[in-house]
Amino acid sequence: MSSVSGTLALAKAEIIRLRRNKRYLFFSLALPIVLYLALGKSAITEQGLPFKFFYLFEMASLGAFSGAFNNNAIRISQERKDGWIRQLRLTCLPANSYVVAKIIATVALTAPQITIMMLLGRFYGGIDLPIWKWVAIAASIWVGTLIFSALAVAIGYWMDPNSVQPVIMLVFLFFTIFGGLWFPVSGVLGKFAEGTPTFRIVQMATDVVKFGSVPWAAVGVIALWLAAFIGLAWFTVRNAAEAI
Amino acid sequence: MSNSGTGPVVSFENVSKQYGGLKAVDGLNLDLRPGETVALLGPNGAGKSTSLDMLLALKKPTTGRIRMFGSDPYHAIKSGRVGAMLQSGGLMPEVTVRELVSLVASLHPRPLPVETTMKQAGIDKFADQRVDKLSGGQTQRVRFALAIAGECELIVLDEPTTAMDVETRRLFWANMKAEVAEGRTLLFATHYLEEADQAADRILVINKGRLLADGTPAEIKERAGAKRMSFRLERVDEPFLLSLPGLESLEIRHDLVQIQTRDSDATLYAVLDAGFRPTEIEVSSLGLEQAFLAITAEDDRADAPARVTRHATAEKEMSDQ
Repeated sequence: MSSVSGTLALAKAEIIRLRRNKRYLFFSLALPIVLYLALGKSAITEQGLPFKFFYLFEMASLGAFSGAFNNNAIRISQERKDGWIRQLRLTCLPANSYVVAKIIATVALTAPQITIMMLLGRFYGGIDLPIWKWVAIAASIWVGTLIFSALAVAIGYWMDPNSVQPVIMLVFLFFTIFGGLWFPVSGVLGKFAEGTPTFRIVQMATDVVKFGSVPWAAVGVIALWLAAFIGLAWFTVRNAAEAI
Repeated sequence: MSNSGTGPVVSFENVSKQYGGLKAVDGLNLDLRPGETVALLGPNGAGKSTSLDMLLALKKPTTGRIRMFGSDPYHAIKSGRVGAMLQSGGLMPEVTVRELVSLVASLHPRPLPVETTMKQAGIDKFADQRVDKLSGGQTQRVRFALAIAGECELIVLDEPTTAMDVETRRLFWANMKAEVAEGRTLLFATHYLEEADQAADRILVINKGRLLADGTPAEIKERAGAKRMSFRLERVDEPFLLSLPGLESLEIRHDLVQIQTRDSDATLYAVLDAGFRPTEIEVSSLGLEQAFLAITAEDDRADAPARVTRHATAEKEMSDQ
């Protein structure tokens, strides 16, 4: 067994688990779909786009990000307490495989999730876009999942299961509300939102649709957040090694 | 399997672990030889789990060095030569027992057939149940299955039979003996003295992070004063009793004298030779449990000044409680 195939075997088991987890299925899959079905056909215009576009990107991001938070933060914290991480460290897997497998599983499961939302947009919302735009939008949401997975890993290693739930909720609401995922933000709040990865990810999607080009300022902000959270996760995981 | 035949399987070289002001492990030195079954015996908080955690590369020693198969523990574990079961080891929920055992086997460089492993651990009957729906004893057996899912040379078990009922425990040790019969080295921590006595061919007694005794079960019993003797005496002469040959400890309650002795014959003859005629003489072997208590109690009062009187008073205090 190489460490790569071992990590993939663990990621596969993580995916099996997630598919059986009702909480995950509800928040990451069912909730965004239901909300889009209920509200997606509103006739208003948002950020210069018909609501059906805007809301699709919001819901796809929301589902993906809630999966990233739940799967990584809450579960890592719980599995740290239960001793599953200790148990894994007794196997031949390298020490960091656990975290890598978690992120692979999250990101892998996000793909069908985003695809379902995009199909919903295409066939229920009647959004007609060239294929490269769909791919660009899906890719930006995918990168967002990676950002929040890294943050969630840090929180999962840092907090015990009792405090992780409210903290995750606050962090999730902070980034989704101020990033304009629940409702559009403008004015001072809009200026503030420009600094968040969530806003920038939706901006990536809307700009691709509106102008047919990638906004490089958004790419820069997203890359900064990604680097910061990966650094934070790395630091937290390394520091927790003795406490596992 | 390069150096398993020659050097020690495991060696602790002056290993200490400090948590703030507390020394959990204090200068531990020991070697495990290939094929041995060794019990690590000690009360709660003695440093058993910390020692095993360091051995399994979960914690780093503050000072000292641990070697496993001639390399550092982390690399020995990552090469799959060690199968370990932790008291605090959790299981992945939401998967079935079979899925979990298959996963862990697939992570091993020399996996054993999953069905064989499950049979050996006695978990084949509930292989398709979800891991999070198992009882405590069943969970413990699944942990054991994970430890033996691949071919290994050293098995390390931390309190393996906790949460098992008597029948399961018996079955567990029967399976374990089969594992060890194939030439594996086994190290297990336990607070069940009976288990150490029956299963181990070597016992390490540790208390307050230090190794107090190292020997076969028979040697450990002997070291603590192998016999317990009691008799009644009309007129108790304490200074005389304290000078008896072989005496390990003395306890006097009114006319009842209780003695722990390394040599019960010599002790009794000395009493008779001095002209005493004790009544209701009883001599019995000390079980491992009393031996263990004697060894750790001796260590616990090691700070007190005078040796023999301190035995007498300490024993008195204990019996008065």
